Amino acid sequence: MTIVLDARDLERRHALEGSEVTALRGVSLQVEEGEYVAIVGPSGSGKSTLLTLLGGLDLPSSGSVAILGASLSALPDRALTRLRLERIGFVFQRFHLLPVLTARENVELPMAEMGVAPDARRARAAELLAYVGLADRSGHRPTQLSGGEMQRVAIARALANRPAILLADEPTGELDAATGREILALFRRLHADGTTLVVVTHDERVTSEASRVVRMLDGRIVD
Amino acid sequence: MMTWRWAIRDLLRHPTRSALSLLGVAVAAALLLDMVMLSGGIERSFGELLRSRGYQLRISPLGTLPFDTEATLGDVTALTVALRRDPAVREVAPVLGSTMQGAHGAIAASLVTYGVTPTSQGIYTLESGRDLTATDTVGILLSVPAATRLGAAVGDTVSLRGRLDPQMANAGAERRVLVRGIVRFLYDAREQPSVAVALAAAQRLGGPDLTDRASVLMVRIDEASDLTAVTARLRAAHADVAVNSIDDLVAQFRLRLTYFRQLSLILGSISLVVTVLLVGTLLAITVNERSGEIATLRAIGVARMNIARQVLVQGLLLSVLGGAAGMVLGLGTARWLDAILTSFPGLPAAISFFVAEPAPLAIAAATLLLTGVLAGLPSAWRAASTPIAAALRSDAP
Repeated sequence: MTIVLDARDLERRHALEGSEVTALRGVSLQVEEGEYVAIVGPSGSGKSTLLTLLGGLDLPSSGSVAILGASLSALPDRALTRLRLERIGFVFQRFHLLPVLTARENVELPMAEMGVAPDARRARAAELLAYVGLADRSGHRPTQLSGGEMQRVAIARALANRPAILLADEPTGELDAATGREILALFRRLHADGTTLVVVTHDERVTSEASRVVRMLDGRIVD
Repeated sequence: MMTWRWAIRDLLRHPTRSALSLLGVAVAAALLLDMVMLSGGIERSFGELLRSRGYQLRISPLGTLPFDTEATLGDVTALTVALRRDPAVREVAPVLGSTMQGAHGAIAASLVTYGVTPTSQGIYTLESGRDLTATDTVGILLSVPAATRLGAAVGDTVSLRGRLDPQMANAGAERRVLVRGIVRFLYDAREQPSVAVALAAAQRLGGPDLTDRASVLMVRIDEASDLTAVTARLRAAHADVAVNSIDDLVAQFRLRLTYFRQLSLILGSISLVVTVLLVGTLLAITVNERSGEIATLRAIGVARMNIARQVLVQGLLLSVLGGAAGMVLGLGTARWLDAILTSFPGLPAAISFFVAEPAPLAIAAATLLLTGVLAGLPSAWRAASTPIAAALRSDAP
């Protein structure tokens, strides 16, 4: 099996009010292609910090992260940005859709950045919105969508460039129980279709669906 | 990226704020436009007015400019003959300017009187009636303000009294003349009551002091001649008079207008500073508000350069829209200000203070757009440098 993500001995220290806080202490994690990994733990355990390092949104104080063999720390900013664009899909707790763009335009955004031709990206956006069950909402702006719909648009956006791995940070955190179940069902479907998933969550339902559960406490993986 | 569409929608996100900012940029752009038009406009307009009748040279008493003082040229007949001897000189038109009193019935008015050679003059155009002829010594031409003040029309007889003595309030010579036509004097101030009579008649009415004298000689030279060479030749041959080309006169005028140019430069610069502040402030606020969005864009793989471009395009958009509105506003205010400024006494009404010329306007527009882009640079740099993880954590859209 291909190792999609390989994190070794990650440490992340922050300066906070004159003192140093260690958010991660020697975390290592490998994720194989097609895996569905759930990272769980209490607040402050370091799981969101770990996700930002895995996705190259922040750099570790020490240790390394590699996506499909490419070490993120060794990449210049431009290459790291390109790698995020091409290889990583992000889903955030607060959706982070762009309010001035429609659902379709939000999904098109990563493809536009990749230089995909307008016709091709429109077709791909329509396909993805249909996949997440929002074919009829493509012209709506985020303010016209429910929380669950916004998260589905965010998932469609994350899949736009066919990433090697999809990283989700509390994807059901802002949703009610029923809507959260819909999103989890969508993740289940994504996993079944071969998408590699790493989901940081408080939601115990995710742990029952993931192929592997990683538990964190005080900046360490404990299980 | 759908940069322009996005920038427009972003402006529409806060319509009131955007409209106020655009209004501010429009006012600044209008001021810049007006100052650009003012800085060179009156000079160009003056040059065009001097060139309008085809006389390229003006000869006036030494050390003076035409009609700048009451000084006059002597021995005008001999001077005219001497000038005509130059092979490049085609026409010499003497003009004598003086103040006389006109009367029509019980109405009397002080009139600026021009003595001209009717067959070769370059100071008026006929509006109605007919022109004076070469031998007409009893005809007079009135400007509309003069005709209005005297209550006279074509065909009426008016009295013209010269040699006004301001202390005695009486006149010397008097002549009854027949109104031949109504004319427009090219160099007159607005509402200036002026008349034209034959040069000989004006000289006689002026008394012995004005015998064979003129205020200025307008000289037309052969179009094919080298104006600079002819000017130099005439200067050398007539060292006792001032020989000025139109360019010389415009240069003198330019010197007197230094104040206007400095004023327009200062106000134009202020308008650019205001544009920088307005656009810069709006973009700084926008980038602050959008830090979460910007972090999202960076997270999903949008390059720093494209983030910066997005901010700069918004600045450019503000400048383009504000500049377009400012163009309309500026042209309107220029027309209004022009009407006020050209009504100042002593200035030819035909002069425009604000002249729209393509090249300076294009430079002003380009400067404004560049200013808009430059104003966005700090915000663009800040947006491109947004710390992704921290901004995502703190953002709650």
